[in-house]
Amino acid sequence: MTAASPVSAAPKVETPLKRFVVGFLDSRVAMLGLVLLALVVFSALLAPWIAPQDPYDLSKLDIMSGMLPPGSADMDGNVFWLGSDEQGRDLLSAILYGLRTSLLVGFSSTAIALAIGLVIGMVAAYAGGGTDATIMRLVDIQLSFPAILIALILLAVLGKGVDKVIVALAAVQWAYYARTVRSAALVERRKEYVEAAQCLALPKGRIVLRHLLPNCLPPLIVVATVQVAHAITLEATLSFLGVGVPVTEPSLGMLIASGFDYMLSGEFWVSVFPGLALLITIVSINLVGDQMRDVLNPRLQH
Amino acid sequence: MKQQTTILAGALAALLLGGHAFAAELRIGTAAEPSSLDPHYHNLTPNNTVRRHIFESLVDQDAKQRLIPALAESWRAVDDKTWEFKLRKGVKFHDGSEFTAQDFVYTLCRIPNVANSPSSFTLYTKGVDAVETPDPYTIIVKTAAPYPLLPVEMTTFGIISAKAAGGEKVTFDKAGCKADSWPATQAFNDGTLTIGTGPFKLAEYRKGERIVLDRNPDYWGTKPEWDKVTFRPITSDGPRMAALLAGDVDLVDEPPLQDLERLRKDPKVSVVETLSNRVVYLALDQAEPTPTIKGTDGKNPLRDIRVREALSLAIDREAIVKRIMNNTAEPAAQLLAPGLFGTNPDLKVKSDQKKAKELLTAAGYPNGFELTIGTPNDRYINDEKIAQAVAQMYSRIGIKTQVDAATVNVFFSRRNKGEFSVYLAGWSAATGEASSPLKSLVATRIKEKGFGPTNYTSYSNPKLDELLTKALATVDDAAREKLLAETMKVAMEDYAVLPLHYEVTSWAMRKGLSYEPRADQYTLAASIRSAK
Repeated sequence: MTAASPVSAAPKVETPLKRFVVGFLDSRVAMLGLVLLALVVFSALLAPWIAPQDPYDLSKLDIMSGMLPPGSADMDGNVFWLGSDEQGRDLLSAILYGLRTSLLVGFSSTAIALAIGLVIGMVAAYAGGGTDATIMRLVDIQLSFPAILIALILLAVLGKGVDKVIVALAAVQWAYYARTVRSAALVERRKEYVEAAQCLALPKGRIVLRHLLPNCLPPLIVVATVQVAHAITLEATLSFLGVGVPVTEPSLGMLIASGFDYMLSGEFWVSVFPGLALLITIVSINLVGDQMRDVLNPRLQH
Repeated sequence: MKQQTTILAGALAALLLGGHAFAAELRIGTAAEPSSLDPHYHNLTPNNTVRRHIFESLVDQDAKQRLIPALAESWRAVDDKTWEFKLRKGVKFHDGSEFTAQDFVYTLCRIPNVANSPSSFTLYTKGVDAVETPDPYTIIVKTAAPYPLLPVEMTTFGIISAKAAGGEKVTFDKAGCKADSWPATQAFNDGTLTIGTGPFKLAEYRKGERIVLDRNPDYWGTKPEWDKVTFRPITSDGPRMAALLAGDVDLVDEPPLQDLERLRKDPKVSVVETLSNRVVYLALDQAEPTPTIKGTDGKNPLRDIRVREALSLAIDREAIVKRIMNNTAEPAAQLLAPGLFGTNPDLKVKSDQKKAKELLTAAGYPNGFELTIGTPNDRYINDEKIAQAVAQMYSRIGIKTQVDAATVNVFFSRRNKGEFSVYLAGWSAATGEASSPLKSLVATRIKEKGFGPTNYTSYSNPKLDELLTKALATVDDAAREKLLAETMKVAMEDYAVLPLHYEVTSWAMRKGLSYEPRADQYTLAASIRSAK
């Protein structure tokens, strides 16, 4: 905030977005997080083009190339930069594809949970009274169970598959958003601009959507960012426990689980590299999330 | 001050040493846990292992599966269809009541009356036609036809107490014994009826956590060295290994193959191993429609022998043994390791991807189809990894294959409901001869004959059934062996099920313990000894 201030002091209109961007770029750590996250997202998106092998196509795998240490080549000359697992799956490819699953599950379950939580939380805050109490007790009940427990039960009923994991994770996460939105909306509701809108006899829907909602978004964005990381970890945990994705299409958690058996016998790479990939993903998302929280929190500014 | 510390240390050491010498405790880490403590509920190795500690059978087998006396002191064939067992006198159940012939009769009656049994022991009781008990210590068993396997089959099921279950008046009737009610499996899990004559008594059973057994002080035979034995199911390989190395358990079964090399070199651990009587196989559903095959317009391609042959040829068994099993297994071409009774020396392991593809084309599936293989993921050594390896071999001949892995209990209940078109499982020949897998896995399911109790594929081959029936009625060992070998050939040439490999079973234990490796894969605490 020192060197940048004189430059930005030029007579320009300061929009909230611009303020946000400037505030965000302020932290080197957050920038590092953003760069890492971008790297992770791009390599996941481009996986089919940059991965040396399609790890989900079983006909491309050969157990004779199984358990090769990092950097070695099989008999056909294919190099396994991060080694291979016992099925002959190239770990680099498996990690890139695994990242796709992780990010897909993380972002889509968060988006679904956010949408559900937003609606329910808004309804609770605006309706108040009995509706509010009922909804919030439901949220309390849901939050009193460990997320992993609910997800395990749901997956036991739903079966395996990426789509089912997304559904299960959305189901365990909506309550966080509902609670956050409600508390934010309750505060906003008592402010003068809402009163003004009510005095103008604007329809309820319009007040909620156009006036309340935009002002409740900042805390939600922060919660959502942290929850994406949480969802990715949950997915990895579920796959590690063997209830997430099918074994022939391993995600990061499942790769870690299958390498786990070899930890004591010196074949570290099957577990360690997917673990590192997971670590980098989670840390970078959290770094970005932390900075967002700082920037969006009015109390921490000035 | 210093002196005080020394005295304290001395006292502590004495306490530790003393404690060690008095309460001999053995902790065993197991890769799979029993589905129940009911000795007649599920014919499954983990169940049978625990059963052998608490309940005994009339006849027993040693580590090499030769018959040895147990509750019966001696037995003989009176004639072709009559067997006489002389019972041991003065044997007491854990509740103090005496073991008599009635307990055997009651056990025989109860076995067909276990509700929802996933794999019944009726397989081994169907041979009995009538039972007479001239006195409490003599049993005369009559069979409808000559039945040479009877004494062997008497080793497979544990005898429960008739008195404890209220069955003192029950008499044997081939068509079904009469009783007001039969003991529920739950009564064995909660300990009410877990009363046997074995060397150990049940102390505690927490599913998923531990089974604790106490030494039976009144045991008739050699008393085991251990006051207390704890079985802890540690289904993941890594943690089971870590538990052994950290000294949390004294012995583990199925040490992970990838660690064997290192364990053998570890001065603190000893490893024993032997070729087992277990074959790991793929079962192929014959029903139409079949649940997990797609892209065939509702037809079940597995009914076509060419497809079955293709599925067999597509599997590179040598590669599986070498890469997945770390050479601690042998590729299989039949349902029991060659050399054992009733196996066929002419059957050879074959693998030919090119021919497999041609056969698929000839059968009308040039582009293959979609298939899901069901497999347990904590039952057999590397089970899920084997299924994945098979899946990639099938994918290479154009069959798009998925693997559906589940824990043992979930897998077996789904398997029994017929949810898989192809599934991976294993079969241990409890009797040590080829009749066991043939009768269980590939014979047509006929409840009255005890045929096909684990034939979940609706496979039926009249020629095979006829040969097997004939073999089972042949008393002359040489002639029976020849007939069994012939039956094996018929089953394998029809690709009734696809054998993958025979497991080599190993145990790892802390130095100072010894265990004679058993072909039947059981881990028996009574035979684990410490070097003195």
